[in-house]
Amino acid sequence: MTASLLIDAQDAADTPRTSTAAGPSTASGTPMTDGDAPGRARRRRALAVVTEPRFAHASEAELARILDFYMVRWEYEPRTFPILWNLEGQVVESFAPDFYLPDLDLWLELTTLRQSLVRKKNRKLRRLRELYPMLRIKLLYARDFRALMLKYGRLDVAASLIGTDGQMMTPVVRPDAPAAEGSVPAVARPDAPAADVARSAYPSIEPVPGRP
Amino acid sequence: MQTPDLVDDIAEVLIPEADIQAKVRELGAQLSRDYEGRPLTLVSVLKGSLPFMADLMRAISIPVTIDLMEVSSYGGAVTETSGLVRILKDLSASIEGRDVLIVEDIIDTGLTLNYLLRYLRGKNPRSLRICALLDKPARRLVDIDIDYRGFSIPDRFVIGYGLDYGEHYRNLPFIGVLKPEVYSAP
Repeated sequence: MTASLLIDAQDAADTPRTSTAAGPSTASGTPMTDGDAPGRARRRRALAVVTEPRFAHASEAELARILDFYMVRWEYEPRTFPILWNLEGQVVESFAPDFYLPDLDLWLELTTLRQSLVRKKNRKLRRLRELYPMLRIKLLYARDFRALMLKYGRLDVAASLIGTDGQMMTPVVRPDAPAAEGSVPAVARPDAPAADVARSAYPSIEPVPGRP
Repeated sequence: MQTPDLVDDIAEVLIPEADIQAKVRELGAQLSRDYEGRPLTLVSVLKGSLPFMADLMRAISIPVTIDLMEVSSYGGAVTETSGLVRILKDLSASIEGRDVLIVEDIIDTGLTLNYLLRYLRGKNPRSLRICALLDKPARRLVDIDIDYRGFSIPDRFVIGYGLDYGEHYRNLPFIGVLKPEVYSAP
């Protein structure tokens, strides 16, 4: 491991599970934004290795690659939104959209699994939209992902990326799982008041008045 | 991929040639009014927008200059080491201080155009607008304000009038829907 990679790894510790996309590039592929110095692209690739998240599904990894290709910054499951509380005000159900695109203020949820899971996800998404109406979120189904692959001439690999075939075998770090070292869980402690839980999950959005 | 039987592979003609030509004339007239007295540069994004650009520029009655750009596509670049979108062909003249109109064949996800807009804004044009023959809003990931829109189309895989599948079908004079078995075939 080189010294620069060690430095990048240190920097990356503060921003886990994010893309490294930058601005437009020239024909040489060199980014045209801050710093056109030689070696910057190499550093970026090294950084990408360090910050590559463990995607739950191959289709998510492919979507991340597409976003990277077009230099759209993304974060992988950066927040968990509480969507159901019990009478004690504890969160009993939450929803963590797959991607957040900060430059577009857009959340993306990709679901390529079987229909029963899609129905469950649709229900959670409806609940999410009720509670956080200002949230801009798009749901991509298997057919949408397949169309994306068709557009990019990658239909041949689509079948291996969607459905159960695309499920990753590697351990998955999810925001509602025990926090990994150095990460900050999005869900507040269970004994916190529900409204605080919601605000901690997405501080810029207030729950709908009248909701817990 | 075998050489396709162009028309036999079409499941449906979505927009006939006559409708395209009528729409192009309409857009050309509108652009001629909107940009009257202002130097306009049309920037076509290769390769798909080539027929649209060729017809549109002839439907515009005010003086225009044209330029061409080509941007790498994700599918064609998955084996590249950089893994980043690239400008394959850049503008041949400065657009600083000029009114620029991007001429696109189709806008679906908006990812390419989003990249292109950021790139061209960096060249300080006086204005930067978008003219797209086809808009497929169901596929949109990046919200894009389309200033001049030809047709809003349903979520179907279309070819013809510049649009391709595997580099074929671009020379069809209409917009058609490809039979699924054509692209589903092993």
